[in-house]
Amino acid sequence: MSAVATQTPENCPAALTSVLRGILALFLWATLPLYNARWTLLPALTGVAMMAMLVGAVIAAPREVIEGDVQRLMYIHVPSASAGTYFAFLIAAASSAAFLISRDIRWDAVARSAATVGVLFTVITLATGAIWGKPIWGVYWTWDARLTSTLVLLLIYTAYLLARSVAGPNDEQAARYSAIFALIGFLDIPLIHFSVDWWRTLHPQRIIFDPRPAVPGEMLLVLLIAFIAITLLMLWLVALRSDTEQLVQRTDRMRARLDQREPA
Amino acid sequence: MFRKDFQLAWRDRTGWLSAFAFAAISILVYSFAFDLAATDVRPLLPGVLWTTFLFVGIFANGQSFQREADAGTFDAMMIAPVSPSTIFFGKVITNLVALVLIELALLVLATMLFDTVLLTAELILVVAIGTTGYVSLTTLLSTLGSRARARAVLLPVLALPLLVPLLIAGVRATGVALDEPVGSAPWMLLLSMFALWATVGGALLFPLAVER
Repeated sequence: MSAVATQTPENCPAALTSVLRGILALFLWATLPLYNARWTLLPALTGVAMMAMLVGAVIAAPREVIEGDVQRLMYIHVPSASAGTYFAFLIAAASSAAFLISRDIRWDAVARSAATVGVLFTVITLATGAIWGKPIWGVYWTWDARLTSTLVLLLIYTAYLLARSVAGPNDEQAARYSAIFALIGFLDIPLIHFSVDWWRTLHPQRIIFDPRPAVPGEMLLVLLIAFIAITLLMLWLVALRSDTEQLVQRTDRMRARLDQREPA
Repeated sequence: MFRKDFQLAWRDRTGWLSAFAFAAISILVYSFAFDLAATDVRPLLPGVLWTTFLFVGIFANGQSFQREADAGTFDAMMIAPVSPSTIFFGKVITNLVALVLIELALLVLATMLFDTVLLTAELILVVAIGTTGYVSLTTLLSTLGSRARARAVLLPVLALPLLVPLLIAGVRATGVALDEPVGSAPWMLLLSMFALWATVGGALLFPLAVER
């Protein structure tokens, strides 16, 4: 993840490229300190925050009067949905853009790892939501706008991982193609959001959820800790995974070079 | 460029004909599956039409560059002094014309089968805009190349989740055109936004997809 190569793709308009490069620099500046601390500070911080989250969610937070203990799932569900899912997919899309600009294959490894972790958190979100939904709403699943768009997002990034996995870790063309797909999939999110929102919310058979009641301060504090914990966990998993993927890429390259040198 | 693509499409007319046959068969399959002959078809018709359109579109567009890749003319085209965007639009416009023709034929068929007037100006506009959206997207995605063996399976898996907004908007806009009570959201606006988004995105990203 060191320097970004300065080679410009010929067909990209110059203004667009420089804007994208600015965004890339900002992204690097924001995530690089965490990435550099991925073997020292990040796991420690993640562990402490996760511990605090568990203690907070299971013991410290008050029992919800109406929903009971199942409400404690919210402390995992809400951060997984926002920090885990959307932030990870943002990283995947940004790294894909970075790959298309710089043509550094390592960005492809980062994008793939972020998409994997994002898919993991999407599954956690949907699963905890279903477990919570059964006693509270009476159903595991409902075609609510938010649920539906999360499901579509899961399908898009699973398809991305599938498309990327048909080719080897250093296949430049497959990496380029799936980077384009990841980018398009991310840009599709607003359209998906509007469509499912209008599809369900303005539909005659609208399911009305109770408006969110005022949340007590302790719950909010635990939720904040959970946000931090899940964000750190997500970043740590992405860092670990992308390190692994980059090692796989390196071994693959070495093996190819070895095969060239002494044909078996 | 367009003339070359049209010539190619004309030469491949059996391919397009089989796409149309596929579409006609799916309409029949839907009729048997949902018993469209006996029940009131109007609430189901938009969904039947749009799923057929999307499947035919993916089925037909997946092969967009197959013929050229097989004949080796694709590389010649990339070397030729035309911009990749021109290649993209040539292919999109050809696919668009062919698919709109197929869809119009389908609408005629459905009009006869289900005794519902489907060839209205409003509906044709909905179909044309929706088709623009999915043709741009599937043409971009069809550049996956002949190298990926799993392409035939992969293309629908890749394309359909991205096409969810288009499917919803198309079905609802068709419902509006058929005077069905489907709510009052600006479906035509969403459909046009999707078409614009897919075309602009395709034109911008296509050069990156085909670069050697």
